[in-house]
Amino acid sequence: MEKIIPNILIIGGGVAGMAAAQALSDQDVVIHVVEKETALGGHAAQWACMATQTCENCGACLSIETASLVQKQKNVKLHLHTMVDHIEKKDQGYMVVLENNDSFIIQKIIMASGFSPFDPQKTPSLHYGTCPNVITTAELNTFLKNESISGLLKDRPEPKIAFIQCVGSRNRDKGRDYCSQVCCKISMRQAHKLTHLYPKADITLFYMDLQIIGKEIRTFYNALSKKISLVQGVPAEILENPDTHLPTLVTEDKTTQSRVARSFDLIVLSVGLLPSKTLEKTSGILDLTPNSWGFFNTDNAVVSKDVFIAGCAGGPKDILSSQQEGRIAAQKAVEALGLDTRAKIPVAVFGDGHEADQTALTLALKGYPAYLFGNGAGLAKDAPVTVFKDAGPISISGTAGNFSIHYKSDNLNRHLKCAAIVAAAKPLQSMNTPKGKIDKILSLDEFSHMIEKTPEKCPERGIILMDYSGPAYKSSARLALSAGLKAREAGKDIAVIMNKMLVHGALGQRLYDEARRLGIDFFRYETPEDLTIEDSGQGFRIRLKEATLPSVFLDLSCDALILPHTVSPAKGFGDLACLLRQPLDKEGFLQSANTRHRPTQSLRKGIFFAGTCHDETDPDDFNHELDEISSLLSTQDFSLPATDPGVEINQKKCAQCLTCIRICPHNAIVMNEKSRPEIVPDSCFSCHLCVSNCPAYAIESKTMANDQVAGLVQKGAVTVFACERSAALAAGNLSLPDHIRLIPIPCACRISSDIILKALLNGASKVIVCGCHPENCKSHKGSRVASDSVQKVLSVPGVNQAGIVFEPVAANETAKFERIISKAKE
Amino acid sequence: MDSTTINKNSVLYTLLNQYPLGDNISECLTCGACNSRCTWFDGEGGPLPRQIIRMAALGLDEALVKTSMIWDCLLCNRCTEVCPMGITMDKVVRKARSLAIADDKIPGDIKKGIKNRLELGDVNGLTKEEFVETVEFVSEEFIDEVNDPLAHIPYDQKGAKLLYLPNPRELGINLMHLTAMAKLFYASKQTWTLSSRHTDVTNWGYFVGKDEVAKQMALMVVEPAEELQIETLVLSECGHGYHVLKYLLEDLIGRKPEFEVLSMPELLVRYAEKGILKFDPSVHPYKIAYHDPCNIARKSGGYDAPRQLLSMVCDGVAELTPNREDGICCGGGGGALQDSTATKKRMITGKPKADQMKRAGLPNLATACLSCHRQLGELSAHFKLGIKVVTVASLASESLIL
Repeated sequence: MEKIIPNILIIGGGVAGMAAAQALSDQDVVIHVVEKETALGGHAAQWACMATQTCENCGACLSIETASLVQKQKNVKLHLHTMVDHIEKKDQGYMVVLENNDSFIIQKIIMASGFSPFDPQKTPSLHYGTCPNVITTAELNTFLKNESISGLLKDRPEPKIAFIQCVGSRNRDKGRDYCSQVCCKISMRQAHKLTHLYPKADITLFYMDLQIIGKEIRTFYNALSKKISLVQGVPAEILENPDTHLPTLVTEDKTTQSRVARSFDLIVLSVGLLPSKTLEKTSGILDLTPNSWGFFNTDNAVVSKDVFIAGCAGGPKDILSSQQEGRIAAQKAVEALGLDTRAKIPVAVFGDGHEADQTALTLALKGYPAYLFGNGAGLAKDAPVTVFKDAGPISISGTAGNFSIHYKSDNLNRHLKCAAIVAAAKPLQSMNTPKGKIDKILSLDEFSHMIEKTPEKCPERGIILMDYSGPAYKSSARLALSAGLKAREAGKDIAVIMNKMLVHGALGQRLYDEARRLGIDFFRYETPEDLTIEDSGQGFRIRLKEATLPSVFLDLSCDALILPHTVSPAKGFGDLACLLRQPLDKEGFLQSANTRHRPTQSLRKGIFFAGTCHDETDPDDFNHELDEISSLLSTQDFSLPATDPGVEINQKKCAQCLTCIRICPHNAIVMNEKSRPEIVPDSCFSCHLCVSNCPAYAIESKTMANDQVAGLVQKGAVTVFACERSAALAAGNLSLPDHIRLIPIPCACRISSDIILKALLNGASKVIVCGCHPENCKSHKGSRVASDSVQKVLSVPGVNQAGIVFEPVAANETAKFERIISKAKE
Repeated sequence: MDSTTINKNSVLYTLLNQYPLGDNISECLTCGACNSRCTWFDGEGGPLPRQIIRMAALGLDEALVKTSMIWDCLLCNRCTEVCPMGITMDKVVRKARSLAIADDKIPGDIKKGIKNRLELGDVNGLTKEEFVETVEFVSEEFIDEVNDPLAHIPYDQKGAKLLYLPNPRELGINLMHLTAMAKLFYASKQTWTLSSRHTDVTNWGYFVGKDEVAKQMALMVVEPAEELQIETLVLSECGHGYHVLKYLLEDLIGRKPEFEVLSMPELLVRYAEKGILKFDPSVHPYKIAYHDPCNIARKSGGYDAPRQLLSMVCDGVAELTPNREDGICCGGGGGALQDSTATKKRMITGKPKADQMKRAGLPNLATACLSCHRQLGELSAHFKLGIKVVTVASLASESLIL
C-alpha cells in the first residue's frame, strides 16, 4: 500500500507559523505555509534590533534567521502573497483553495495569523496622523531599523522624547479589557536604545502599571530606571503647542499640585495588539469562533479539532512565546496525525520541590521513562517516576541521547544512562520583611491557603504589601488578586499596597477590574520609603504616602500584613550549573541558551530548563515549558545518524591539552574510550571555536581551515567576515559593490588573529569582522572571541588601526551593515 | 502634611456608591488618563481629576472639600471621555459640591441666584412686573421692526403650541437676542408663548449638585408648562439648561413630562426641513467655525442639530480640531461664568480654547450656548483674537427669509 504523506496548512508566515514549520522539519509531512505578504517573517521581520552594548533579547532578528531556514526547508511549500479563499471538507481532509486559485488537500491546520497593531487614529484625542512628531512604537521600530531616526529628531542632540503606554489596551470602556503583554517591554527596550543613540536625550515613559516580568526585563528595568524618567499615569490627549507646534502633554505636577503642559520633540505611542485584520475572515472560513476581543485565548472561543492556534491569534504575546506556541502546535498536529511513533527516550529530572515533581510526572505520563534526582515529596507513591531520593549526581558525561549520570547512592558509585536532562531545581523563597523586626507577618501563600481551607481564621482586615523588596513576581501578583478576591467574597476588608499591578495573561486585566469592582482597595507607592509600618498590638498601622494622592498621608490599619515571597537563586544553583556545565545569569539563575532564543533549552543539546530555576514563570508558563520540552524531545530525534559538522580532531596532532573540551560552548567534545578528545557530531553546532583555539592546530575544518578562509580574500577589496546567522543575513540580498568581499563564516569565533593576519597578507585592504551582538551568539562566546582576535591584531606594531574592526550586526540590521561597508570605502 | 484615614462610611462614598456599574468610582484604574484632559493647566491651582476621584473613592470627603478642586472643575467631562472605566466626573464633583460640609464653598453669586430663582422664578431677581415690562418693551420694538401689529411677543398664553424658555441674559443685557428669537417664532406662524412664572432656562441647582434643588427648579418649569398645555418646550441656547431639562429631566423629576423638549436649533432644523422656515445662507457668505458646548455635545449627545442649522445659514461649518467628543472646553462651565469672582480663573481655563480659536484662523465662531457665547467673546477680547462670536440661532434669525 502506498504511504500517504499528511499535509499540514500553516496560516501565517510570522514567527509562530515559521516556528511550527521548523519544528516539523524532520517529519514526513508536507507543510503549506500561506502568507499574505510577499515574504516570510511577519511583523517581527520589520522590527529593529534593540541591542546596545549587548543583545537585549528582543528576538526580532530571529524572524529573519528563521525565515531563511524555512525557505530552505525541504518539506515546506510556500504560498506567498496570497490568502486562503475557502476550505471544503473532503473525505481525505480539507480542500484548501487560495486566492491565487492554487488548491491542495490538507489534514491539519495551524492557525498563526498573528496580530495587527492598534491604529491610534481610532483615538482622535491623540492626534496621531496629523502631527508628524507623534508616531507608534511600530513606526519607531522602522526608523530605528532604517537608521533614519536622526531625521525625525531633526538632529537635536538632546531630544525630549515621551513614550505613552497602553494605547489601545486595558480599556474596558472600548471593549479591550486586556493587557497587550508586549508593549512595556518594547517601549523600555526602545527607550534604552534611544539613550544609547542619544546619551543626552531626555526621555519620559508614561505607564499605567509597568509590566516588569521575566528576568531580563527585571535587570534591564533596574538599569533603565536610572537613565530615563518613569512616570505613572498615561496621558490620553496630545495637544499642539500653539507657538512651537510641538506635541504637548498635560500632566500632574506633584510638587506644585497643579497641571503642567510639557512639549516633546517626539511622542511615541506604545500601541497594543489587536487580532490580525484578516482573522475574522479566516475564522469564518475555518468555522471558528473567536472571543469578544477577537482572539482565541479564553474558554468561550471555539476551535475545531483539526485546528491548532499558535502565536498572537491566541492572544497577545511576545516573539519567544509565539515561537514556543508554534512548536507546541506543531507537536499537537503530529500527535493528532498519529506520527509520534518514535521511541520515548529516558529523561532525568533534577530538583526538589513541586516543579521538579511536576516535570518528571508530566514527562512520565507522556510515555518518557522518567528519573528524578530529588526528594519527589510531592509525588504519589504509585507515580510512574523512578526517584533517586538521596542520590547526589556527581558528574555528567556524554552528549544528548547518550548522557551518563554518575551518582552516589548508599555509598556506591552508580551510573544512569539517559537521553536528556531537565533541570527544574527549586529556588530560594524568602520574605524581606519591613525594617524593624516585625513578626506576625503572614506570607501570601499562607494567606491564600487560609482563605481556601480555613476562611474562619482569616483576619478581618488584611493588607497585601507588594513590590516591597523589588518588583514582585507575576505569580505573586496573580495570587494577591485571586486570594484577595476570595477573601473579599468572604466579607473581609482587603487592601493591596503596590508599586504596580501585573496584569499578564489573557484574564489579568479582568481579574484586576473585578477586584476593584468588588471593593478591594489598591494603593500605589513609589519607593519603600513612602511607607512606615508599625506594630499596633492587634495588627499594624501603616502611614502611606500614596502616589496618586501626594497632598495627604493615608493612615491605614489592618489585622494582618501579608507579604509575597521573593524568589532568589538557591545555594545549589552554582553546583548545578557546574554539573550541567552551563552558565548562570547575572542574578544567579540558570541561563537558557544564548539569550533565550530557545527558552527551555540550554546551550548543550539535550539539557533543558523548566520553571523558576531559570526564569520567572507562572503555572501557565510552566505548563507551556513542559509542552515545549516534550515537543522538542519528540520532534528532535536524539539518535539521528551523525551529521557531518565539518570539523575533526586530527589525533596525530592532538596534544591532549583538553582546551577544546573546556571551551566548546555546546559540550560537544568528549573524552572517548581511548581517553582522547572526540567531537560528537550530533551535538556539534559547527561554530569552529575549537578550530580557532586549538594550540596544536589539531582540529581541522574541511572547508573553513585558516588558509581556506584567508584564500577567499580578494586582493585590494575590503574583506567582510560575516557570521552566517547574523551579518550575512543582514547583507541578504544587497548587491554589494565590487570593493567589498563578503565571506560568510559559521560563527565569528572562526576568525582568529591568524586568519586576520593572513587576510591582510593576501591583500585585503581592510578587514571587518561582523558577528552577533554579545549575548546573542549561537556559540555564546563567538563574538567576544572575534573582537578579542581583532584587538590582538591591532596590538601588533605597524598594523593600520583603522584597517581592522569588529562590528556586531544582527540579522535584521541591514541598514547598519550598509553603513559599515559604505564607511569602509572612505 | 495632613494625614487622613479612609472612610467607607463617608457621606460622599455612600452617595457615589448608589450609582450603577460604570459610574463606580472604586473601579478607578488610577491610569491617569483624566489628568491629561482638563483644560486648566499652566496656571496656579486647578482641578487634578485623578485626585478628585481617588479622594472620593476612599471616602476622604473633608480632604476633598478642603481643596478648591471641586469648584475649579468645570463639569465638562472631557476627562470622562477618556476614562477606561467610564467614571463620570461631573457626577462625582456634583455630589462633592452637594455635601453639607461644602456649603460654605458655594460661590456667593450662585447662592444668590438660586435664592432668586426659587423665590422669584428668575436668577437675576426679575420680578413678575419687571418681566412683563421687559417683554412688552421688546415686543413693541419687534412690532415696529416687522411692521406687523400681530407680531407681539405673547406670554402666559394657554394652549400655545410652543413655550420658549429664554436665557436670563435675553431678559437683561442681551434683549436683542430675544428679539431675534421672536422673529423666528413669528416667521414660523406657530402659536408660541413665554411664561411669567418661570422666566428662564437655567438650573443652578445643577451647579451646586443638590438634586432636590435641581428637581424643584425643573418642576418650576415643568408644572406651569403643563398647565399651559403646550406641545413643545423650546429651550434657549443654554448648555446646562439643555443638559438638565432635556437629558436629565426624567431622572430628576421621576416621570416623563407632558410635552416634548427641543433646543432652539433643534426646533429650527425641524421647521426648515418641513419647509416651515426658509433661510438664506448667502446672508453670511463665509464659513463659520462651531464650538461644541460641553453640556449639549459631550454630555447630552447633541452634536448634530447646531451644525445642521449652521450649515443652512452660512457658507458652511468649519470644524475646529479637536471637536465633538474631544472638543476643547470654553473654560466657563460648571458655574464659573455665574461666579463674578472667577473671571481670572476663566482666562486660565479658557487659554487652550483661545489657542484653538487662534489656530483656526477664522473671524467668525458660532456656538449653541449663551454661556459659551459669553466666555468665548471674553476670550476673544482678552487674548486679542478679533474673533466675532455669535449663537447659531441668532445667525438663523439673520438669515431668515420672511
